[in-house]
Amino acid sequence: MSGVSTRDLPVPALARTGLLSWIATTDHKRIGIMYMVTAFAFFFVAGIMAMLIRAQLAQPNQSIVTSHTYSQLFTLHGTAMIFFFVVPFAFGLANFLVPLQIGAPDMAFPRLNAFTYWIFLLGALTVMSGAATNGGAAASGWFAYVPLSGIKISSGLGQDFWILGILMASISSILTSINLITTVFIYRAPGMTMWRIPIFTWEMVATALLVLMAFPALTADLGMLLIDRRFGGHFFDPAAGGSAVLYQHLFWFFGHPEVYIMILPYFGVVTEIVSTFSRKPVFGYVGMVLAAFAIAGLSMGVWAHHMFTTGAVSDPFFSAVSFLIAVPTGIKFFNWIGTMWRGSISLTTPMLFAVGFLLNFLNGGITGVMVASPPIDFHAEDSYFLVSHFHYVIGGGSLFAIFAALFFWFPKIFGVKLNEYWGKVCFAFEFIGFNLTFFPMYFLGVMGMPRRVYTYPNLPGWGSLNALATLGAAIMAVGVIIFVVNVIVSAIRRAPVPDDPWGGFTLEWATTSPPPAHNFDRLPPIRSERPVFDLRQSDLGSQRKR
Amino acid sequence: MKGRWIGSPGLATVFVVTLGLGGCGWASLPSGATSQAELMHRDWTVFTIAGLCVFAIVGGLIVGSPFVWRRRGEALPPQFRRNVPIEIITTVIPLIMIALLFVLTYRVESVVERLSPSPSTIVDVVGFRWSWRFQYSGTSVQVIGTPKQPPEMVIPLGRTTRINLESADVNHAFWVPGFLFKRDAIPGVHNSFDWHPDHLGVFVGRCAEFCGLEHAFMTFAVRVVPPDEFERWLRQHETRPTAYRQGPR
Ligand SMILES: [Cu+2]
Repeated sequence: MSGVSTRDLPVPALARTGLLSWIATTDHKRIGIMYMVTAFAFFFVAGIMAMLIRAQLAQPNQSIVTSHTYSQLFTLHGTAMIFFFVVPFAFGLANFLVPLQIGAPDMAFPRLNAFTYWIFLLGALTVMSGAATNGGAAASGWFAYVPLSGIKISSGLGQDFWILGILMASISSILTSINLITTVFIYRAPGMTMWRIPIFTWEMVATALLVLMAFPALTADLGMLLIDRRFGGHFFDPAAGGSAVLYQHLFWFFGHPEVYIMILPYFGVVTEIVSTFSRKPVFGYVGMVLAAFAIAGLSMGVWAHHMFTTGAVSDPFFSAVSFLIAVPTGIKFFNWIGTMWRGSISLTTPMLFAVGFLLNFLNGGITGVMVASPPIDFHAEDSYFLVSHFHYVIGGGSLFAIFAALFFWFPKIFGVKLNEYWGKVCFAFEFIGFNLTFFPMYFLGVMGMPRRVYTYPNLPGWGSLNALATLGAAIMAVGVIIFVVNVIVSAIRRAPVPDDPWGGFTLEWATTSPPPAHNFDRLPPIRSERPVFDLRQSDLGSQRKR
Repeated sequence: MKGRWIGSPGLATVFVVTLGLGGCGWASLPSGATSQAELMHRDWTVFTIAGLCVFAIVGGLIVGSPFVWRRRGEALPPQFRRNVPIEIITTVIPLIMIALLFVLTYRVESVVERLSPSPSTIVDVVGFRWSWRFQYSGTSVQVIGTPKQPPEMVIPLGRTTRINLESADVNHAFWVPGFLFKRDAIPGVHNSFDWHPDHLGVFVGRCAEFCGLEHAFMTFAVRVVPPDEFERWLRQHETRPTAYRQGPR
């Protein structure tokens, strides 16, 4: 590349302001904001579903919702949280940040970028609109195992809407990944060598590569399911020589990497935040990057650990590879601790959420190693132990990192800083509420409560543990309301905020808040992975000389 | 600074409570009523202890660091980026840990999965929406349940019972929490496993794989009785099998 273009792109006058300017935009920052706002809207929808689920389970033998409604609720809750919240939020954040972090004026393919957003939105609305069909929305769980999701049992259009919607969302993810990888490889500013790329951007590269390897398996799997359902196929019909286990293989060949697609971006978020608020460089930067790629690579070889209880896979192999993932994950943990070590740490709201992420993710990671052992999984699989485990990873992990990211980059994105005190109160509600919701589920699981039951008998301890979980969920909901009020009040007050309120390290802090359409008027020299830190130090040095 | 109380003290409280309750979680695990389950219970114990140690050490460092190294002024902390010996040690220790855990896993699993050449009783189990059918192989004894009247399987104490598992419609999972064991019933897949019960009692079983509307009521029971009582039960119901047919099918 021969330098950074900072000229304003010609934009038709009509498309510069108002609603049309958002619909017609190809600006990576606006698309990023649209992704994040849409994802958050689906977080509210899926959160309300979670509240209904917890209300139904608050006491034994309740019937607040019917069994069929309950099945739709947990199917759409899982689908929305995974496909329409955690993943697209990461892509939204990446859309906003990656070009800024590498000093580029935009993404490599701006129009493709807009297309991926709109097709994602269309897919999400398609899945949800299944609820308006006769027979209701899809009700076979977020992994839609055959034969349950087959035409004989799930005969309604809701299941087809689900398949089509997820296909659109997965095409969106694949195209976004191509866009991100191209942007990082081609559009870096002069001086931004690969080993100076910020960790968040690195994690997004690993995520995007993983999407390219994993999502095609999902696309194929759901395409085959659609052919079986509507066009007389027999891919998954054992009576006609097909295989129901094949569906599981293809699904988890996507589904396990998907777990890391949902967590790697947030490793990046937490790394940036821990480093900034410890006022230290990332400890073991190279190890951090290599660990991300090791996790991505290993995660392609562990899909069948979701299938230990099928009796149809080689348990020891998949168990061993799953255990191995603990090593690069451990490296990351020690590097986060190494980054804090002897630092100068401020427990701001983003840092609190980041530390909450570390503790919750550690919890979920440890029980993850447990269920990677088949003799333990034979009891834990499909029980509330597993429900708790993956919520610690994705809820206690990714969701906490999303809050951390929002508090951290809100001033950059909108030029408005969120209230710190109420941010901390929000953290307290989320952290206590989360642990109160999900820790009792470990107990329920080992005591024998299966997942996806819409009601349960009044056995000793079951009622009180479930009541605790429901109480915790209510506390989390209050925390989310506090967050929304914080956003509204801060947006109305618009207290003046400097371009770099936290003392950031990476290039996004070198431009204005919010950044101009072309991102940078001028770039600081890039001589390390912390160009803005270097700039600040040299400014301080020259001040002292004077 | 407003909101200080939420920081280190709050984090430390949740950390300590979690650590304490982790032990209680282990205590609520069924002790395991088959000889296979006793082995798996040992697996649970070792993993829980290892997990709690890791949580205590790593979690302690995570919660402790922001307190110990909290910002005290404008002076920049040391800007070190790496420490190769520490990085090697923190890579090798987890590697050793998982290697040991894998050896344990492998040894326990190979015993749990081992099929006896001469099981004393063979029960063919079929899962269907939404109950189970138990057919005692080589006899005419058959127990069929409904969601409202769950079926009961009777098996002899101290002898090996072979379960052959199949599904008639969608995926189910045959789970006896008291035996710490489940296996999926998948159309087109034939699964077999052995139980060697060494405790008398009635153990509740549940379907663990979501299978539709009445999934929550797809329960059953396993009653472990002394061998002579089992023989008597079998003879009795061979002469009057209809008495134990429940439900519509
Ligand atoms: Cu079932």
